[in-house]
Amino acid sequence: MGCHLSKRSKLIPGYEKPTVLAAETPFTVSEVEALHELFKKLSSSIINDGLIHKEEFQLALFRNRNKRNLFADRIFDLFDVKRNGAIDFGEFIRSLGVFHPNASTDDKVAFAFRLYDLRQTGYIEREELKEMVLALLHESDLVLPDDVVEVIVDKTFNDADLKGDSRIDPVEWKEFVSKNPSLIKNMTLPYLKDITLAFPSFVLNSEVEDSDV
Amino acid sequence: MQSPVYYALVNPNLSILMNMCFIFQRITIPEIMKDEWFKKNYKPPVFYEKEDADLDDVQALFKDSEEYRVTEKKEEQQPTAMNAFELISMSRGLKLDNLFDVEQGFKRETRFTSKCPANEIISKIVKAAKPLGFDIHKKNYKMRLENVKAGRKGNLNVATEIFQVAPSLHMVEVRKAKGDTLEFHMFCKNLSSSLEDVVWKTEEDMQETK
Repeated sequence: MGCHLSKRSKLIPGYEKPTVLAAETPFTVSEVEALHELFKKLSSSIINDGLIHKEEFQLALFRNRNKRNLFADRIFDLFDVKRNGAIDFGEFIRSLGVFHPNASTDDKVAFAFRLYDLRQTGYIEREELKEMVLALLHESDLVLPDDVVEVIVDKTFNDADLKGDSRIDPVEWKEFVSKNPSLIKNMTLPYLKDITLAFPSFVLNSEVEDSDV
Repeated sequence: MQSPVYYALVNPNLSILMNMCFIFQRITIPEIMKDEWFKKNYKPPVFYEKEDADLDDVQALFKDSEEYRVTEKKEEQQPTAMNAFELISMSRGLKLDNLFDVEQGFKRETRFTSKCPANEIISKIVKAAKPLGFDIHKKNYKMRLENVKAGRKGNLNVATEIFQVAPSLHMVEVRKAKGDTLEFHMFCKNLSSSLEDVVWKTEEDMQETK
């Protein structure tokens, strides 16, 4: 039975052994296996091909496969490290690792920076910040006049853009986060520490015993 | 009326106490807690919070230190400005907890937006919370509401803070600082019905999937 299961698992694209993933992320082997159960659920919700597609991601986040959202798009793109349009198991585990409570603050700060650097220029430009504020207001059904939005963006930008060059670089971002630690609060998912409680079925399917054969 | 036989085999003080429970008028919990038999070796329960509620800012707020008072004076004019990145981080697209699709129980914090001036929001919250039996401690645009009566996990403590998103728009955060989460949930429901004319959008309104 163990052999049968491991054969099936290797058909999952981007499958990497739990021991390897555990060694390279803050997760334990058990946590990786529990997340494997979650991954299987998410990646089979629309197309059963062992990959999380954008619509499956949207379905999981919003209970609506067609819901478009700027921030969900950014998360999806960052998780899709190989940039091939879908998230495979390895990418899923490695990206989620940054959200583990034990992941380093530096990793979280860097991930958040890349998240907000919409056009991946290496800087968060003023226009990008404004675009994100507008996206949030639209999403929340909060309508504000443009000059008010400008004031919101200006104030934050002036606090963060220490060099005054209309863009926030990684160093300025790190400094800004150290002054406002709540900015990376959503870069930590405390629930990841309890993940093995949510998916106990892995206990029966554990591949840890199928050591390098 | 004769006590049942088995009571005679037990500590006579307990026997008397139990008779009082069943035979005379119903004894109350506070009265039981005063009884000598009960008090013997009694250690009151301490309620531990599982979640890490960061109470540092709430504690610091109500510490009566001279230097703190001095710096607070400067900020009395306006509520703390809400940073654009903080605003953005509220997006539902960034709430990856939803991937786990787990019954995470009642929320321990909530927020709503208001178009009213900050001072008006404060006075309306005070007006709503007092009749519900809460003591109010206020410092600038932060408040600590404490239920005078103890609940299931001690006295419910709620922290509220007003942030300015724009001159005409405020964000009010309501957070459970201590106590039972279900009681906090009930408190929020009561509060929101009393604050109908102050609230512009609730958190549910803002997170509705259109």
